[in-house]
Amino acid sequence: MSTHRGPPDGDVDRRVADQAADVIGGVVERVFRTVLELRDEVLAAYRAAVARDGRMCERDVTALRDPVLGRLGREHQAAIGMGVVVAPGLLADRELRIEWWQYGTRAPGAGRGEPTLLEVDLNPASVGFYDYATAEWFVGPRRTGRRHVVGPYVDVHGTDRYLLTLTVPVVADGAFLGVAGADLPVARFEALVLRELGDLAADVVVVNPEDRVVLSTSARWLAGSRAVFTDADTARTLAEPRWRVVTTRR
Amino acid sequence: MRLLSGDARRAVFAPLDDGAMRSEAVVRRLGSAIALGIIVDGEQLPSEQQLAASLNVSTVTLRDALSDLRTRGLVDTRRGRGGGSFVCASEEALTELARGRLRELAGTDLRELGDVRAAVSGAAARLAAERASEGEIERLRETLGRLAAATGGTARRRIESRFFIDVAAAAQSVRLTREEIELQFELGQVMWGAGLAEADPLATVEGHHRVVDAIAARDGVLARGLTEEHIASVTARLVDAHVRLMRRHNRRPDHAANGAFPEAAGT
Repeated sequence: MSTHRGPPDGDVDRRVADQAADVIGGVVERVFRTVLELRDEVLAAYRAAVARDGRMCERDVTALRDPVLGRLGREHQAAIGMGVVVAPGLLADRELRIEWWQYGTRAPGAGRGEPTLLEVDLNPASVGFYDYATAEWFVGPRRTGRRHVVGPYVDVHGTDRYLLTLTVPVVADGAFLGVAGADLPVARFEALVLRELGDLAADVVVVNPEDRVVLSTSARWLAGSRAVFTDADTARTLAEPRWRVVTTRR
Repeated sequence: MRLLSGDARRAVFAPLDDGAMRSEAVVRRLGSAIALGIIVDGEQLPSEQQLAASLNVSTVTLRDALSDLRTRGLVDTRRGRGGGSFVCASEEALTELARGRLRELAGTDLRELGDVRAAVSGAAARLAAERASEGEIERLRETLGRLAAATGGTARRRIESRFFIDVAAAAQSVRLTREEIELQFELGQVMWGAGLAEADPLATVEGHHRVVDAIAARDGVLARGLTEEHIASVTARLVDAHVRLMRRHNRRPDHAANGAFPEAAGT
């Protein structure tokens, strides 16, 4: 895809890309810091349960409610949902379990109300079955052992939103226990980044590894659309998430 | 009804705003939820009082509806300790419910449903061709794999609903996805059941595969065209089935349900 560059001015492009990368990195890192704290809470709960009963049970997951709610409340500017998703078969008394809390969708400025527990359909025979064990945000951290950012995507049967989902694996003594994570609405991510970016000398397009536009300052590229950029177009690639930052002259 | 938000089950018991013919509306709501598997076989329904309150209908209306569901074999009421109303997800009963709905609706209602489906699913297919990631395309193929392997009309309908919903999600549109879910819910009311002569299931899967191929080839016009054609043929089969049911119904009202109908199912 052509980026319709103006007269070559690599310095401006690089400066704009660096600035955008810093802002985006800042937003993402802040959410991840909170998610990592939550992960540590899960690990502590797991070790305590194993020491006490030999195995973790559903009530140990329910007891993570307060740690989740505390952090979600603190991170309210960015994350709209946060929680813990348990690996199938981990718990002694329940095959699948999610402890995920989220704020409701409201008009901006209308107040956010209280967070509610996400209730998903965990019945495999239902048309609305929320098959989280095959979801990318679950499979990714499980496979690689590293943190993942998935999206933008429509969270079907889950939260009814257009999201970025940030997850980290929870691993104890080599055993995968599940993931801790947060949902960041694409709209909110855009607002946070645009506000901090201010005026730029060039337009910025951010694409994920699947060539999907995450964020754009130009209507030529809409968030959620596909845009295939080459390495030559790319001014900067972030570390994790592996997003390309492309700058383009107006 | 919102199915997407994960609180689908709560939505099943949300207040009805259908106005007139409320006991029938209750029957339809619970029937669709049973058909879609949102409330499952053997599950106990809330108490009559609770259910009436949450659906915002009178207990009289609710009792009418439960008695109707009992007659249809979709609910079993046990007395005494541990008693209550329990769900029976019988294919036969769901089929009969779909037949009743097909009789109630007019041909123009079915045509309208087809029109909106073509608008929503057609647009979703076109946008999915522009926007779907390779991973999403792969998941669409997996869903079709499960559809090909499924046995029974109910299982096929559930998976096929899922396919249409996933195409809308691959279009990256929350609003189209929500519309598609509501359409599948509505469609479910006329489309359930085994025993009805489906359109050849393998041909249906084949047709959906062609749509996914077009999405993978980034050919939005083709993906949309194929989707619209498919929906038009489903609508035509539904209208045919409706007309046949009506005519038979008028001639021999008592035996309307017992004849062998070359009816439609499979979306």
